[in-house]
Amino acid sequence: MWGGLVEATPCIFLPMVAAVSFLALLLTANPTTAQASRTFDQIAHEADAARASDQGQRAVDLYQEGLKLRPSWSEGWWDLGSLLYDQDRFSEAQAAFRHFAANTRKPGPAYAFLGLCEYETRDYEQALRHFRLWASNGWTGTPELTDVALFHFALLLTRDGRFIEALYLLTTEVQRRGRSPALAEAMGLASLRMKNLPEEYPAKMRELIWLVGNSALYAALPPNDFARADEFANRLLAHYDQTANVHYYAGTLRGFEGKKEDAEKEFRLELDISQQNVAAMLELARIDLEADHLPEAEDLARRSVDLESKNPETHHVLGRVLLASNRTEESAKELETAKRLAPDGATIRSHLAMAYFRLGRKTEAQAEMAAFSELKAKEGVFVPPAEKMKAMKQAAR
Amino acid sequence: MIRLATSLLFVALSAAAQVKQPEQTSLPNAQSGFAQVSQAADSARDAGRSEEAIQLYKRALGFRPKWKDGLWSLSSLLYGQNHYADARESLRRLVAIDPELGLAWAMLGMSEFELRDYARALDHLRRAMAEGMGDQKDIAELVFYYVAVLENRFELFDDSTSLLIAMVKSGQDSKPLVEPIGLAALRLPFLPAEIPADRHEMIRQAGEATLALEAQRRDEAGKLFLGLTERYPNEPGVHFLYGAFLLDENPEAGIQEMKKELQVSPSNVSARLRLAEEYTKQQNPDSALPLAQEAVKLDPKRSSAHMMLGEVLIAKEDSLGGIRELETAREQAPQTVRIHWDLLRAYTAAGRSEEARREKEEIEKLSSARNQ
Repeated sequence: MWGGLVEATPCIFLPMVAAVSFLALLLTANPTTAQASRTFDQIAHEADAARASDQGQRAVDLYQEGLKLRPSWSEGWWDLGSLLYDQDRFSEAQAAFRHFAANTRKPGPAYAFLGLCEYETRDYEQALRHFRLWASNGWTGTPELTDVALFHFALLLTRDGRFIEALYLLTTEVQRRGRSPALAEAMGLASLRMKNLPEEYPAKMRELIWLVGNSALYAALPPNDFARADEFANRLLAHYDQTANVHYYAGTLRGFEGKKEDAEKEFRLELDISQQNVAAMLELARIDLEADHLPEAEDLARRSVDLESKNPETHHVLGRVLLASNRTEESAKELETAKRLAPDGATIRSHLAMAYFRLGRKTEAQAEMAAFSELKAKEGVFVPPAEKMKAMKQAAR
Repeated sequence: MIRLATSLLFVALSAAAQVKQPEQTSLPNAQSGFAQVSQAADSARDAGRSEEAIQLYKRALGFRPKWKDGLWSLSSLLYGQNHYADARESLRRLVAIDPELGLAWAMLGMSEFELRDYARALDHLRRAMAEGMGDQKDIAELVFYYVAVLENRFELFDDSTSLLIAMVKSGQDSKPLVEPIGLAALRLPFLPAEIPADRHEMIRQAGEATLALEAQRRDEAGKLFLGLTERYPNEPGVHFLYGAFLLDENPEAGIQEMKKELQVSPSNVSARLRLAEEYTKQQNPDSALPLAQEAVKLDPKRSSAHMMLGEVLIAKEDSLGGIRELETAREQAPQTVRIHWDLLRAYTAAGRSEEARREKEEIEKLSSARNQ
């Protein structure tokens, strides 16, 4: 409460606060203010007491009353927002957290709450934006808030088609909290590359998602429980071996288990079922590239570019294949396209740097390497693209 | 069942007790405006002009946002029109004003169920059960049904089974409960609507077998369980069900079925525990020990795994190790009487009389709570 009063006080008075009781100061400074302040204090006190004694609605009313008297009462906004959020009144909570964020120097956790409220009110773009802001502000908040916000952040990344980033976050959560049905479901959606939220995928896909999700989850546990991951994967293949993305998932799992040949087999099976599965094509191209089967790798990479010319990864893989084939000019062109499509992709920049070095374009190569280092430090989902770009520009300078 | 829910609930809610409250003091103009609009809303509702009534209730609530009767009527109308998101909003406001309205929690939970917000639906439907739903038996039955199927979806299989069996025993029509019981028996965390098309028959058969067993129709249950294993030999859970049935009357055959289950689903913890229990009963703790140890390793948070390992270790005269496991089990499931009995015996045998006395007291406390 006192923090709120101090924040509302003009800066000129702040030194005096140390010497004189703040309340006494207000009482002597201006009789009208003193009257309002006393009323405010009383309300704030009652609001806190109502909240502490689980009188949710009464506490909400009192905080709202207090905030009418003192709109700059940042703790009041925070407490009001939290109470409304606990009552599932998300639109109202959202408004309170917005006020809090505007009235405080440390808005970090409010961004997480804003993201959660916006998720519930289905304003998904804004929610994603706020989760990114929360991340760039250091993921602050209680462990409970962090868990809930991370989970919803991951769901929105999946909905946005950023499956790898979603899985990265979900894996972090699995490693922190262990297994839960909700985490398994979320991992199932991301692993199957389904741009769906848990509340909106078709009911008939529940078993498929459950099987994939559990398999992925057990594989992600520390230590990896591959036996159980395989058990779920085998059940999956027994029932859904003709379903798109199932063999792609199985290939990813086998690759994660270090069974490269099995992984390759699964990716090829995936392409038999869904000839235009770019994710499987890229995986195979990478495997061929690693095995130095360059013509095969190039064929796959070119097919994936034809199918998804706006997917940076298709150009990236083709660029790598061409680089390995010593067709450096062509490689640089593909990698430049990949860079244009995904300016925050760290590894694209490192491959582009290699291409430039080989072409003797040393200054550009050094700039790309600097960008790579900066981006690598901020890699993943944690930083909004705008901030990554800023970091990159600074590095380039 | 779920389709029936909407109409049943709507009918029941229309007849449900009105929520009364002292009205707030308002300005005369607002008061007369409110009186006029709220009366018009009630009339429109009573005349079946739902859309008009919805608009009027919204207007009346503009005058008095905390008008409980109005929020209730508005919510019921919105739910009846399948406007679940709007119904949810209005119900959230209502339960925030009066958190003891069991029927409002029920309708909130069902709205959330329709919106597939299952975690909140389960919380709120359980809250409805806790608050009570007055004499609205039909709604109470629906709430129990939703809670049971949601518990199953959240992998609370035993809770779901207990509730479903209690519903059957209370005289509810068992037909709509067969699939939910089958799902819980086979440990498949799906809603009935999520059952894959080619799995209905298996799940129904598992449900019917479980129901037959509960009703002590053992011959019928045995045939159904056997039929399941013959028809679906590679499906997880099938051999476990038959094995559990057989352990009572033909332990050797039961053991064989449990072993088959472990071939189909090698990480099945329940099968390991039943086998360990049977071996301990047969005074063969050497065979029980690795199974109990594996169960703990596979599911360290499961109290029954620690309990079993504790029992096996004590049978092998490792009283220190056994007590340690039993204490872990007690920590995880303090309400389980069997664990306290195990500890009472173990402490007594180890001469730890003070701890044994505390266990005895705990058993008495739990038994009396159960009787009440």
